[in-house]
Amino acid sequence: MEQQPTGTIHALDSVQFNEEIQGIMIPAPAPENASSFTALLELPPTQAVELLHLPDCDGTDSGRLSCCHVSVNQKPYLQNSSNGNLTFPTNAALIERAAKFSVFAGENTSPGEVRLFPAVSGLNLESVKNEPQETDSNPCSTQECVSDPAVENKNQRNVKRKEREKKAKPSSKKSKSVADETSGDGEKLPYVHVRVRRGQATDSHSLAERARREKINARMKLLQELVPGCDKISGTALVLDEIINHVQTLQRQVEGSSLMDSNLPSMVTPLMWPEIPLNINRPHYQQQWQLDAFHQPLWGREEDNHHFMTPENSLLSYDSPANSASLHSNQLKMEL
Amino acid sequence: MRNLSSLKKEFLRKWIKGLRKYNSQKKNMNLLERKKAIKLSADLAMASTKDKTTLWRKALFANTSTKIDDEQDMSTTSSTPQKKVIRKNSTNSYPLRKRITGRRKILRRNHTKERVEASFIAMRLVKKRTRKLKSLLPGGKFMDDSCLVDETLDYIESLKAQVEVMRCLVTSSELFINQP
Repeated sequence: MEQQPTGTIHALDSVQFNEEIQGIMIPAPAPENASSFTALLELPPTQAVELLHLPDCDGTDSGRLSCCHVSVNQKPYLQNSSNGNLTFPTNAALIERAAKFSVFAGENTSPGEVRLFPAVSGLNLESVKNEPQETDSNPCSTQECVSDPAVENKNQRNVKRKEREKKAKPSSKKSKSVADETSGDGEKLPYVHVRVRRGQATDSHSLAERARREKINARMKLLQELVPGCDKISGTALVLDEIINHVQTLQRQVEGSSLMDSNLPSMVTPLMWPEIPLNINRPHYQQQWQLDAFHQPLWGREEDNHHFMTPENSLLSYDSPANSASLHSNQLKMEL
Repeated sequence: MRNLSSLKKEFLRKWIKGLRKYNSQKKNMNLLERKKAIKLSADLAMASTKDKTTLWRKALFANTSTKIDDEQDMSTTSSTPQKKVIRKNSTNSYPLRKRITGRRKILRRNHTKERVEASFIAMRLVKKRTRKLKSLLPGGKFMDDSCLVDETLDYIESLKAQVEVMRCLVTSSELFINQP
């Protein structure tokens, strides 16, 4: 009898599956009472589970899966209840639950699954018919109450199956999070929201390192946008090169302009101009100034205009001989 | 990102305040001293703009205070306004320096084995550059990587503003000179 079921399992036909179950049921002592269904369940529960675990390992056929889950589900239910004495309400309640489970399992309501219940219930039709009134209350309760252990088990199994299916997909993500991190603002919350991708290590050290690296890379991107000409460069070292270059240029410009500011009345300034790349803007400023006749500031500030002329006036009135000034500036150039 | 023109305005205002303090001594200073004075006041003005919490600003204040202490040849009237500014702005730069110098001793390591894989080479290149960047940035030696990137962002922005302001000053004063 054992070989028969194994043979039919490979057939992938749920109808044969049902026939097999019937085959199992027939040699069993068929009590005419209503608990025959439960007897069916009791007798070969282990056998049925074994049989059904075989296709369960494959896990590909959804129809079979749902069938398996029906039977596998029944097993914990059996264990939950008392050892052998299953009463009527549980009978029909089980069928109700299994029917509900088919709704859950849901993608394909395979014909075999549907047929399973009528096949089983066909045996106990009398018993089921005897109990419609009593079970009317039960289905409502079973359908509505969520805290039922069997329902919970079913739900858990369902969830586990879905999780398994999810993990089979390559793009699954498992998130460890407690609170979100607002990284852009510079706030620091105690917990970091990190997403771990499939195939990556999940211990705390590598997580922390990854978070730190991502933070640094985000800020490097900002820097790249700030420094002109860094967008097209790929690779941290070259980008850093550009940044260093830029910072050095800016610092040299500051030095040069401070020198020029200090040395305005001399003839040194034309020598220093080539150093500065923003030379192009100069004529624009000149025109603007000539047009506005010194009364409109460059950036739209009125009050500062008068202020900054006066110290410049005083600086300008400092008379230094042009020769010594040029000498000093040459020395400075060499220094720079 | 941030408001560049407001930054420039603030910088200019403070810089002019500082330059005015130097007005009295302009006759005594030669070119180099003047340049230094201008640069100093500009740096201080730059460092006191925006929020004063960034590391490079604090380091700038600390550096300028040491510079002023070293250069005792400056007359007292010039040093005091700068010193006042520095004292006002540098709150806890000293403990910062003390705290961080201890870290450097731990980082020293013997070069036992140099690896040849590509990732290690890339890492070494990047490390060299970060060291260079740290040397450029005021107070950079005391920063770690993430801090460094933030600080350079801020520093570049303020440097840009400073350069633009100074250049505009130069051009405007030049035009003022050239006018008959």
